[in-house]
Amino acid sequence: MFCEKAMELIRELQRSSEGQLPAFNEDGLRQVLQEMEALYEQNQTDVNEAKADGRADLIPSIKLRHCCLLRNQRCLTAYLYDRLLRIRALRWEYGSVLPANVRFHMCAEEVQWFSHYKKSLASFMRSLGGAEGLDITQDMKPPKSLYIQVRCLKDHGELEIDDGTVILLKKNSQHFLPRWKCEQLIRQGVLEHVMS
Amino acid sequence: MSDALSDDGSVNQDDSQEDVMTPAELIAKLEEAWLNEKFSPELQENKSEVVECVMEQLTHMEENLQRVKKGDAKASIHRMEIDRIRFVLSSYLRSRLQKIEKFFPHVLEKEKSRGEGDPSLLSPEEFAFAKEYYANTETYLKAVALKHMPPNLQTVDMLKAVPEPCLDSFVFLRVKEKQENILVEPETDDQREYVVDLEEGSQHLMRYRTIAPLVSTGAVQLI
Amino acid sequence: MDTQSYLPVQPGVGMEENFLSLDDILLSHERLPIRTECSFPRLGFLDKSSDSQDIPEGTKMELPLWLSKGLYEKKRRVLSVELPKVYREGWRTVFNADPNVVDLHKMGPYYYGLGSQMLHFDSPENPEIAQTLLQTFMGRFRRNMDSSQNAYNEDTSALVERLDCLEKALFSSGQSGLNSFQSWEKGRASQLTASSLVLNYRKRKINDIQP
Repeated sequence: MFCEKAMELIRELQRSSEGQLPAFNEDGLRQVLQEMEALYEQNQTDVNEAKADGRADLIPSIKLRHCCLLRNQRCLTAYLYDRLLRIRALRWEYGSVLPANVRFHMCAEEVQWFSHYKKSLASFMRSLGGAEGLDITQDMKPPKSLYIQVRCLKDHGELEIDDGTVILLKKNSQHFLPRWKCEQLIRQGVLEHVMS
Repeated sequence: MSDALSDDGSVNQDDSQEDVMTPAELIAKLEEAWLNEKFSPELQENKSEVVECVMEQLTHMEENLQRVKKGDAKASIHRMEIDRIRFVLSSYLRSRLQKIEKFFPHVLEKEKSRGEGDPSLLSPEEFAFAKEYYANTETYLKAVALKHMPPNLQTVDMLKAVPEPCLDSFVFLRVKEKQENILVEPETDDQREYVVDLEEGSQHLMRYRTIAPLVSTGAVQLI
Repeated sequence: MDTQSYLPVQPGVGMEENFLSLDDILLSHERLPIRTECSFPRLGFLDKSSDSQDIPEGTKMELPLWLSKGLYEKKRRVLSVELPKVYREGWRTVFNADPNVVDLHKMGPYYYGLGSQMLHFDSPENPEIAQTLLQTFMGRFRRNMDSSQNAYNEDTSALVERLDCLEKALFSSGQSGLNSFQSWEKGRASQLTASSLVLNYRKRKINDIQP
């Protein structure tokens, strides 16, 4: 049956649960586009023949191929659009710089989309007023305390806090830090929030 | 925003009346807008005056805090208050941005078909963001796939492709101003429509579509 | 709580399909028994059971829902769609007797979704199908809701195994509500946690290293 390749792309995303981004399937995409080209050409031939020789009996087959073309178009668009939603999530979870192993899964145009998205979001946040705007990718949960106890899960180098003190984030060290300063590092898995 | 308002004397007067709002009232307004935005399926009217005022308030509080001596117990209470307000504000703006991204073709379409006097759904900044999001996404789809497709398949109607908000979802609400004769649509074929009165202070679970106008006038609060 | 940042396109409600929804695309890939009411020249290779060049009129074969929907016309019959077994009278009787005993995953897994889609095809049995879908859902909902709200820290796989896709989604939203409530009760709701995306990428990295 036609459109099996396109279905494969959709299943691939469905298997990557919780919004993970699988590697961009360039080969799959190309195969679907090739199938579309073949369907289109066959339809052109049949349409011409139907017109020239009055072969109305060809119409059901033309219609069937056209349905397949639309289906392929839908699957490809949905595949790409869903990937954008996953890439969007990366901006909110990781911050604006993505780890190399994640970036590696994106095609050139996706990298470009991401950088445009990043810029739009940044200028939106800057425009909110105040000296530096407001970073709305922070404060994901309601604050319960100003300072929290954190444990370092890996070496991360130095961190400067608001009053100018610099602390060294060394693996397995524990610190009592302003919650606001830690949120992103916790999300990235550098620090762990220790509850007493 | 303030420039646009000062062109017209009468609006400016309204504006200065708004300014009389106490900080507590301002925060109450923010919380109201926040809950409505969080629980409604569609994007609400923008409240950029509230956002602006709260941002000013936050900056003001930060400045005050700089002057307080270190180790003062009052300072940490103020700091906490700042954090809490910033959370509500961020969460509010996040919900809006999320809906703008989720429904972008419809949001932009609504903005386009808006009458001249009607209030705008989007703040100027959100409008800019939505337009960029649209262009960015369309460019991307075109470059990667659509332009390589047969000539009659190179466009996808985004208005049809991206789903609209589901106005039939059910929401919880609290009544702030008594309402009479609200028409409730039937749930199933064998029911008929009926009218209800909503008493002040009472709470209900209803279809969003039924009470959507009451949310925007502030007569009910989503909870 | 707005902590999960990946927000996929939701499936359509009722008879609607959302163009960009992955779930709806998978649902519309389900196969339906059909009978061709005209011939499809030069497409014989689609019917695996014959090696003629065309698909002749009167051929019985299976086509995916999306194609059946695309070809189906009320006026000019190109094909007629037959009801899949689970929506026929025999099974409807079973469902109406006790909806709780049936394994909807095996029968589906898109029992409700595909059933609603069947209403696109003008079958005289449509009112009964719709009624059975609704009764089945209602009959199972109580148990589904109770278990999703009460099974805390339990292995629910045997329970979930027998649910249709729609029920499964409801079950897990009930579970996530229960879990958030429990963590709030323990005072853990304010704990900041690593992003599940980040954690999963790390897991995968470790899996890649291990042979």
